[in-house]
Amino acid sequence: MAPPWLDVLDETIGACVTHRRPDLEARLREKRAQQLDPKLRVLVVGESKQGKSQLVNALLNAPVCAVGDDITTTVPTFVQHADTPSAALVRNASAGGSIFHTPTERIAVPIDQVTKQAAAQHVVRAEIGIPRALLDSGLVLIDTPGVGDTRSAHTASTFATLMQADAVLLVSDATGELTSAEMTLLKKVMEACPNVTVVVTKIDLVPSWRHVVERNRALLARAGIRAKLIPVSSALRLRAAKTGDQRLNSESGFPELVTCVQSDIVASADLLARRAVAVVASSAITQLVTPLREELTAHDSSRTVATISTLQEAQRRVDELRRRSARWQNVLNDEMADLISDVEYDLRDRTRKILREVDKTYDEADPAIGWDQFEQWLEDNLNEAATTNFAWLMERAEWVAAKVARNFPVYREDLIPGSVLPDDLLEPASKLEKPKIEPFSMPQKLFTGLRGSYGGVLMFGLVTSLAGMPLINVISLGAGALFGGKSILDESDQRLKRRQAAAKAAAQRHVDDFFMKFSKDVRDSGRHIQRSLRNHFSTLAEELQETLLESARSAKRAVQDDQTERERRMREGRKELDKLVTLYKRVQALGGPAMELTA
Amino acid sequence: MTLDRVVWSMLQEALGVYRDSPRATAWLRTHVERYTEPVRIAVAGRSRIGKSTVVNALVGDEFTPQNSFVWYRGGTEQRAHVFNGPGRPHEVGIGRRGSRNHVETGQFDRSDRIVVDWPARTLRDVVLIDTPSEATPEQVLGDADALLYLMRHVQDEDLRFLQSANDHPIARTAAVHTVAVLARADEIGAGRIDALSSAKQIARRYRRDPAVQPLCQNVVSIAGLLAVAAKTLREDEFAALRVLSSLGREELEDHLLSADRFAGDQFPLAMEPAVRQALLERFGIFGVRLITALIRQGFDSQVKLTGQLVQRSGLGELRDSIAVHFVERREVLKARSALLALDVLFRMEPRQNARKLVADLERVVASAHDFRELRLVAALQSGRTKLPAELQTEALRLVGAEGVAPLARLGFDYEADARELREALLDALLRWQAQAADVHATHAHRKAAQIVVRTCEGLLPQFS
Repeated sequence: MAPPWLDVLDETIGACVTHRRPDLEARLREKRAQQLDPKLRVLVVGESKQGKSQLVNALLNAPVCAVGDDITTTVPTFVQHADTPSAALVRNASAGGSIFHTPTERIAVPIDQVTKQAAAQHVVRAEIGIPRALLDSGLVLIDTPGVGDTRSAHTASTFATLMQADAVLLVSDATGELTSAEMTLLKKVMEACPNVTVVVTKIDLVPSWRHVVERNRALLARAGIRAKLIPVSSALRLRAAKTGDQRLNSESGFPELVTCVQSDIVASADLLARRAVAVVASSAITQLVTPLREELTAHDSSRTVATISTLQEAQRRVDELRRRSARWQNVLNDEMADLISDVEYDLRDRTRKILREVDKTYDEADPAIGWDQFEQWLEDNLNEAATTNFAWLMERAEWVAAKVARNFPVYREDLIPGSVLPDDLLEPASKLEKPKIEPFSMPQKLFTGLRGSYGGVLMFGLVTSLAGMPLINVISLGAGALFGGKSILDESDQRLKRRQAAAKAAAQRHVDDFFMKFSKDVRDSGRHIQRSLRNHFSTLAEELQETLLESARSAKRAVQDDQTERERRMREGRKELDKLVTLYKRVQALGGPAMELTA
Repeated sequence: MTLDRVVWSMLQEALGVYRDSPRATAWLRTHVERYTEPVRIAVAGRSRIGKSTVVNALVGDEFTPQNSFVWYRGGTEQRAHVFNGPGRPHEVGIGRRGSRNHVETGQFDRSDRIVVDWPARTLRDVVLIDTPSEATPEQVLGDADALLYLMRHVQDEDLRFLQSANDHPIARTAAVHTVAVLARADEIGAGRIDALSSAKQIARRYRRDPAVQPLCQNVVSIAGLLAVAAKTLREDEFAALRVLSSLGREELEDHLLSADRFAGDQFPLAMEPAVRQALLERFGIFGVRLITALIRQGFDSQVKLTGQLVQRSGLGELRDSIAVHFVERREVLKARSALLALDVLFRMEPRQNARKLVADLERVVASAHDFRELRLVAALQSGRTKLPAELQTEALRLVGAEGVAPLARLGFDYEADARELREALLDALLRWQAQAADVHATHAHRKAAQIVVRTCEGLLPQFS
């Protein structure tokens, strides 16, 4: 039956696949392969010259790793079980390539040559196999180059190996307590692999090693690191192995370390696996959960924001159109009212000018002479006034159309109508009727003269009769002639005046007629123009509104769609998150560090 | 005018310029005073590396460690002063605790520095400053002319310290003041009998390590406990060790396997565990092993043994290194410290009328050929720069390793006349110019030749 951690790990890998995180997946798969591998990797790390290689040698009672006073170990050395002692160097086949995914090749070398040859270029690691009971259970001891050395390549390879470790022995010698650099290293190691045992070496050299061990325990406790601490002496152990001295062996502290390795590491391989899996899986799940949670908490995805802003824009434009169309209608009404009153005033002004001219003319002239010419003149003037006035009307109408177009919410090519002219314009006005002209004929003149002379003859005849003259005499006759002449003159003057008044009245009437007729025409045309402009613009506005409403409607639909889609995704995300949290709890149950993770 | 005189007159001139500033005057006065003192050597390193042990070994007496800067000066009588803030120092007594001297600083819970006047031969030429391990590079180097830096193996942290020690522009142009010490040489070899020779080999490797090389003049190794033992071995201890070495070799080795065993109850000799414990604390397990082996080899008198221990512990080499690199170059090191002090002053209190001095300072630093010569001497002597044998001897002589007088530089042992000297100089100049332009030579070779050429050119005006 598969161990429970395997299920959890597989599920976590599945979750990584669902969430499209191939990097995490690869990492977990590596861990899975490593956990399924019956081998148990125990990494020996520490600063340089702490006795790491010697510790491995002493654990195995065999000089497998070279030890020296200067920096000796340059590549990680894997020591594992083999029926016959053997050794090999693994190196990058392609020189200078990256550390990962480059083909490697194994070169078999004699055990005692391993260290010497490992110093060569491109060697990734050394592998040594020896027959030892301790390694029988699949234990692999990995000796690493010292950390904190000036040649940083060594340190890098140590940290690369750290990722594969099931358990770690952190080595620090008894000549001094754990330094701050070592504590930092320890914390770093704990992150990658929680199964750490601190081994204090070289206790044979230091009289006060118990004090150092106590200090180290205190330091670990203060840093909150739960790690076992075992003091050992490799020198004593190797000596004991040589002489077979059991007491010396127990003095060396190694029995405890071996027990620790066997019981804590080998025997509890399952626990270790669970712990390691818990750490790796929980870190992976945390990484999966973070973006998911962010997505859930984020109010709008950027897409929704975009659609909603489209909708808002469309609605805003519809409102705008409504407001602006009220405005253009007002503009049209106002402008047209102005236009008509202006045009009418202009017309009135022009006709009044003509009438004044007529008056002036007929104050002097006699309508009896040259009426025809006058009639022609009046007609011409009126025509000209009408034409100018009408032209002005047209001009103003176009201007109004442009102004309305300016107040129209959008600009379009066909915004200004081609023609606003009414077709049936300028019917010929009524003919000017000739005034009644009475000519002053000769008999009339005679009669008037006689009637006037009568009084004069009588008046002067009476006066002269007093003087004894007859009623008809020279004087009375002369006076009669004078009086008669005056009467004729008066009469003809009277007649002229009458004729002039008649002519003026006729002209007045005619002009009035013309004005009446033409102002009606102008009004009509004005209204016609107004109507046609209104029709034109309202049609445009309606079209526009329809377009805008349509786009607003579609935006609204999009938002609604988005909303539902988002809700669906939210639901799914929440489900996923719940799943992950459950998974995380199961991972925690495996025995990892207790971390808080909530949905 | 020599560098020494130039810098001295600069200090005096600065005193004149800054006579109205009490702070600057005080600062300059301390440096004028310091200029005539012996070289001050700070001993620094990480905690528990053995700084006090090395200082004790150099002084030749054991002092209990203090948690502050402790200065050891030469003097006719044994005295100690505690400096605490501004104000006058307090004189304190020196008592004894066990086999060690103890400066009674109990009444002061804090002290800036403790100055111990002690009659010792080493202290005639140098002032040693024991530093607390938490001191920053600035604190350590503020008062010191030279630096002994202690470490076990060269680690990044140590390199950082040395780098920050060389961070000042003037310090960079004259990085002549550091000797790195692989302390605890006995532990490097895991306490084996041959540990010291392997430690020496490692020191030699570091001397050529490109990461370490530019930061210090030399790397030596020392077994601190053993060195102290060499200087302070007492009669009773020697007697006890003789008794130990009388034991059979196998049997003794068996009991010297571990510290626990040696101090344990089951011991074949009638020797108090307390005595054994004391021996262990004084010499370490390695010290006991080595001393008993030496006694067995025939160094059976205290004098003979002491000589052997001084040599084997690396103390002799360390002393030579101090003599060659620090004491002999006192003038340059002092000049360097004074130039640094002047630079600090000019930066802190810039003045119009100090501009000539600033220019002088720049000129001296830029043309500090003395410094470059010194670095070349160190490089040639430590084997860091290699020249063919006959060239190496000549180069060393010309750059002043055997004396800085023109006669000594040109290798005349009699009073040659000016023409002769001039010819010899021109001859040397031409030869070294050819070396400097030799395209087949290594970079280091040409670099060295350039410095020699510069030296010859510097000598030339004296003969024309």
